[in-house]
Amino acid sequence: MLSRCAHVTIASLLVLGVVLAGCAKRPATTAATAPAPTGAAATTPGGGSTGAGPTTMAPSGETSGTGSGTTMTPTTAAPGARPSPAEFVANENLRDVYFDFDKYDIRPPDAKTLDANATWLKSNPGHLVLIEGHCDERGTNEYNLALGERRAKSAMNYLVSQGVQASRITIISYGEERPVCMQKSEECWAKNRRAHFLVKAR
Amino acid sequence: MRTWRFLVVLVVVSHLTLPGLWPVAPPPAVRAQAVDVFLNVTGGGSRKLNIAIPEFTVTTGADPAGNGKLLASVAGADLTFSGLFSVVAATGAIPPNNPQALEQSWKEFAAAGAHAGVHGLLALRGERAEVEMRLYDLTAPDHRLIAGKKFELPAGQLRRLGHKVADEVVLQFTGEPGVADTKIAYVVGPVGRKEIVIADYDGAGITPVTRNGSINLMPVWSPDARSLAFTSFKQGYPDLYRVFPFERRPDQTLAAFVGINSSPAFSPDGKGLAMTLSKDGNPEIYVLNLASGTMRRLTRHAGIDTEPTWSPDGRQIAFISDRSGAPHVYMMDDQGTNVRQITSGGFHTQPRWSPRGDTLAYTQRAGAHDIWLVDVDGSNPRRVTSGGDNQGPTWAPSGRHLAFQSNRLGRWQIFAALADGTGAAPITRGGAESTSPSWSPRLP
Repeated sequence: MLSRCAHVTIASLLVLGVVLAGCAKRPATTAATAPAPTGAAATTPGGGSTGAGPTTMAPSGETSGTGSGTTMTPTTAAPGARPSPAEFVANENLRDVYFDFDKYDIRPPDAKTLDANATWLKSNPGHLVLIEGHCDERGTNEYNLALGERRAKSAMNYLVSQGVQASRITIISYGEERPVCMQKSEECWAKNRRAHFLVKAR
Repeated sequence: MRTWRFLVVLVVVSHLTLPGLWPVAPPPAVRAQAVDVFLNVTGGGSRKLNIAIPEFTVTTGADPAGNGKLLASVAGADLTFSGLFSVVAATGAIPPNNPQALEQSWKEFAAAGAHAGVHGLLALRGERAEVEMRLYDLTAPDHRLIAGKKFELPAGQLRRLGHKVADEVVLQFTGEPGVADTKIAYVVGPVGRKEIVIADYDGAGITPVTRNGSINLMPVWSPDARSLAFTSFKQGYPDLYRVFPFERRPDQTLAAFVGINSSPAFSPDGKGLAMTLSKDGNPEIYVLNLASGTMRRLTRHAGIDTEPTWSPDGRQIAFISDRSGAPHVYMMDDQGTNVRQITSGGFHTQPRWSPRGDTLAYTQRAGAHDIWLVDVDGSNPRRVTSGGDNQGPTWAPSGRHLAFQSNRLGRWQIFAALADGTGAAPITRGGAESTSPSWSPRLP
């Protein structure tokens, strides 16, 4: 013999309605005036390039990696190909340069900063330089990683154009991952859109 | 004499008449019939099937922790999340080996509007736990059994048994398993120190994957759900690694070239990994053959080409390029040929190809970010999120749900929603910033 008591409660599920109306599209922010990136202007069928191991701007061409067919052998870079970023330190003679939102071209006041940086580097040939490219927090991580690299590369190209040996320069992009300023304001974002310079003795 | 109590909650009440449902038939036929019934009940629209899930009955072992109750709750939450069912909840377990009590409870659930009932039988055997799921048709006069299945797992993975029951119920009614027995990998932590974790799809059981104190980004699951590829600065530069979170196995370095090594995407057959490398001058898309180590370059353009995502058949890759001035979604075949632009206007990143193959999710920036969907031919773009900033879409393996990161409640949290954006709810609730979700395939 069983006794029961049933309590029935009826509740309605709140269904979140989402307005699917299209939202206003803002004009695309186009990138960059200078320096123009180099490379083929048209997309061509992938011919493939490179294999395992570190490369420096390797020419394309089908090559095979060192991996064996049985267990997956990852494409590991040999240590020493890239100097460790941790070995570089700030130097008071090298100043940051800053970028407009979504841009990576060098602005005139920043060109003056880079001129001074180039002058110091040319008179201190015993130092290698690491250029970090950074973005503000707006934008998505992956795209900002690419944008940060463009900024570092813009700064590098400028220094090279002023006579600094390219072989002394290493670049790294941190995307939006290492801001110097944490507030959500244009003033703060402007400080984060930067190329930062570090040095180490050869 | 036993007494137990029902607390019946009809989340959504449908007043439906269901004449002559679920005839007696062997399991495959039952499923076909169940699908028909389900579609009849739901009309293929927003109406849901009411399903009762009393506490699981413990048939073997002691259950001081109340796992019978827990599993009914887990499975019920899963079925609610599916968007297909309204769960008729109950307190009190049906006593074991008591067909009269079972029948009486089905009678009461049917009277309360339930169309189906799930009875779970839980056996706790020390290191192992087993659940037998029995599914009943409560619209039939005799409340007949229409399906049953047993699942066994290590006792430490007990919650998964509730997920497996729910996935089986979804399979019985729709012909495709649910997505409850899955994980979500994501990134947690403050600026400058981001680690990858995994959790059950519902946010339970958060487990660290990386612990290197560096910046770890963009985890993605391999198709076998055994490994994750991700970008990490742990060796100083943004390099690509692979980690096996369920195995004692060291990380693999997948790509550590000069420049950026990022945006990994496993091919659907698991043999290739598409990625972005800038080693040849600017970000281009490559495919690494994981067996041979051979790298194949797919894009050649001075613009940024990044964020590859594979079509489910592995023959197409969608990606982001800013070759038109701002980033938009493009598509190419897996040899890098036949490149065409899919979206235009605006600022579009983070494309993710739906497992169903017909749709791409992506992130549009217009001040804040929102998740949009577009048909793979570029038609019918539609926004599916609103409120706060929403980024990083990732599809459930069924293609019926999306997860993404949103700051609509303050900090970045991982949300899940139906693919049309309805029913969005946070699955993380911690104090840490949670970003960059990747929804796993169904677990093996």
